[in-house]
Amino acid sequence: MFIRTVEHDTSLDKFRAEVRDFCERELPPVIREKQKRGQHLEKHEYISWLQRLGSRGWNTGKWPKEKGGLGWEPAQFLAFQEELGRAGAPPLMSFGPTMAGPVIYTFGNEDQKRQHLPGIIKGDLWWCQGYSEPGAGSDLAALKTRADRDGDDYIVNGQKIWTSTAHWADWMFALVRTDQKAKKQEGISFILLDMKTPGITVRPIIGITLGHHLNEVFFDNVRVPIANRIGEENKGWTYAKFLLANERVGNVDVAKVEGNIEQIRQLMAETREAGKPLSDDPTFNRRLAELEVGLATVKALMADQLAAARLSGAPSLMGAAALKLRGTELQQGILQTGLDVLGRHGMVYQSDALNAGWNGEMIGPESSADVIYEHLYRRAATIYGGSSEVQKNIIAKGALGL
Amino acid sequence: MPSLSSEERQQLHDSLLELLGDKYAFEHWKKIARAPGGEGFGRAEWQEFADMGWLGIALPEEAGGSAGGMTELGIVMAAVGRFILLEPFLGTVVLCAAAIEKAGTERQRRMLSDIAAGKLLLAFCHAEPGGGYAREWVKTVATRDGAGYSLTGEKGFAIGAHAADQLIVSARIGSEAGPVGLFVVPRAAAGVSLIQAPALDGRPGAAMTLAGVKVGADAKLGGSDMDMLAVIDEIIDRGVVMACCEAVGAMATVTDQTVEYLKTRQQFGQPLSKFQVLQHRLVDMSVSTEEARAIVHAALQALDDKAKDAQRLVWMAKVKTAQCARFVGGQGIQLHGGMGMTDELSIGHYYKRLTMCETLFGDAEWYLRQLAQRREAA
Repeated sequence: MFIRTVEHDTSLDKFRAEVRDFCERELPPVIREKQKRGQHLEKHEYISWLQRLGSRGWNTGKWPKEKGGLGWEPAQFLAFQEELGRAGAPPLMSFGPTMAGPVIYTFGNEDQKRQHLPGIIKGDLWWCQGYSEPGAGSDLAALKTRADRDGDDYIVNGQKIWTSTAHWADWMFALVRTDQKAKKQEGISFILLDMKTPGITVRPIIGITLGHHLNEVFFDNVRVPIANRIGEENKGWTYAKFLLANERVGNVDVAKVEGNIEQIRQLMAETREAGKPLSDDPTFNRRLAELEVGLATVKALMADQLAAARLSGAPSLMGAAALKLRGTELQQGILQTGLDVLGRHGMVYQSDALNAGWNGEMIGPESSADVIYEHLYRRAATIYGGSSEVQKNIIAKGALGL
Repeated sequence: MPSLSSEERQQLHDSLLELLGDKYAFEHWKKIARAPGGEGFGRAEWQEFADMGWLGIALPEEAGGSAGGMTELGIVMAAVGRFILLEPFLGTVVLCAAAIEKAGTERQRRMLSDIAAGKLLLAFCHAEPGGGYAREWVKTVATRDGAGYSLTGEKGFAIGAHAADQLIVSARIGSEAGPVGLFVVPRAAAGVSLIQAPALDGRPGAAMTLAGVKVGADAKLGGSDMDMLAVIDEIIDRGVVMACCEAVGAMATVTDQTVEYLKTRQQFGQPLSKFQVLQHRLVDMSVSTEEARAIVHAALQALDDKAKDAQRLVWMAKVKTAQCARFVGGQGIQLHGGMGMTDELSIGHYYKRLTMCETLFGDAEWYLRQLAQRREAA
């Protein structure tokens, strides 16, 4: 399938201008400033921005119109991401708009759609993903968290791990085992949990970034209405896979990747070797060119997947795997180049500079701490959402029939 | 070249691994690294290392050392990497000891005894903000001031500088066009201002500004105004090969730990180590570690033999080791999955240390470029 590349699509110029103008007026200065410094946002700051986007329907612009979205073509979605990135806006949140939402509008009942979709569209609520468990990583279907029926409720017991932003979440979508005897993929159900339910404990995991992003989530006799189950009991694996394909497309945030390249270009300009800026260095420029080829390729793969999603309701599992594989490798490659520059400043990591209110003195370029944070954080890019090894297995089996 | 017999080398290696494995396990490491208000390393540990004779392993006998060569020092540094020790080996025992030994007068060489005894901490402050990895880039100036000198300039980040008793600072003598000298400057001297910060791997250090720092004539290493760039070149080469040794030790631990983890981690009804694609990955990690070890040994040998092509071999060792370190460190995290991303597990800390070793004094790309330029010049 051949698709126009985003850059050449002049029909989107007006829309791009609208997004630029919107960001100019609506992006709160405190967020703009924090984004510039790579500082962590507070939840309320993030939500306030998502709500502004939500007032235009832009959180979910790529959803079909009949599902409450704006029915954007892939090119328009990519253009939107690009403009957000260029304006220094925070990246789009994927847990609600890319993961939970499409599962709910595709497999949920009317009540569930009424209850949950508006909050996602408007950007009011924060979602998290209850998938991985200590014994179920790459082998996700081995999950053990169980949900036993008790009247109109399930009683949930068990543990999730690596749950990003669970400490912020209002809701979690989770995979739980509802049939202990069935084959492992056939005893799983997909449920929605209100994070305020008694019996849920969230415990932080400090990452190699030295930041708090990940959590463990424990369930101790957590009562969840059976009405919160999506689709049929024990058919959760089907919905889980549908979500994974969307997640993998969402894993590659081209705006963020593009922003990273810009950041590295800036770092090169700010870094001198024997008095000359690295931006004048042919080897570094060659590497930038190589990264830009990677970006153009990943954007093209992305456009294919978004188009496939519009035609058939979901990206293909294989296509999403290929995109995830190359997109995350690209992201790591970009950030590695950043570290190759920062080695010349002694590889200082002032992680405190990423907290609001820090007033210490920075050694080296201002974006150093942000670039190192991102580098460390994105070591996980080839692990989360299904490791690269898992993506290759999917392609080997699914696409090549091996 | 005086050096230890192979039996003595083996004993050194065994005693390092035994004592460090016993007392310097990761839990202990965390305690030191995270001690509130701490210096980021252990003073008591440093003293113990001195008592074991490890700090003086390559220092002359008259300084209380063992008069070992680079191979012996490399054995110590590999152990530093195996346990990602936090104490300032590289700054004090490798770089500054080399500076004093190579450039110091008889009188100045007395500092070597204090190094061997664990009583003197030093930091080598040569690189400057505008220089990148270029070794000859020195803009700091030491103007004559009475009988002594007054130093003005900026120095880049150096691990351990925050706690060093003395800094060895390079500066151009007289003017910006003058020969480069090496000066011993007390960290607490008036006019020295440090910006303390942690490195990627958490070890603290500092960048600094020197604003008219007054030192005596005896602060300059060596008696004359001889240009020290060639000596600095040798000092940095020693740093390069020792950073490589450290990386080799760290890679060995990463490979061992990852093999063990994949043997125990069950997915799809079997240990991960049963998957051929992961077996091959582990093999590549193991072979990478061996490749690096082999070429680093060759470089150490060349230095000990004072071989004509020693520098070339040191640079080649850095290229290969840096490439291997990147691969092994990255795969260590990848194969540990989410576990590898946590601050609680050691594997991420090894990744960070390997990244430091990889980039210190120049990365693979930089040394490849130097090697290429030499080919063109030849």
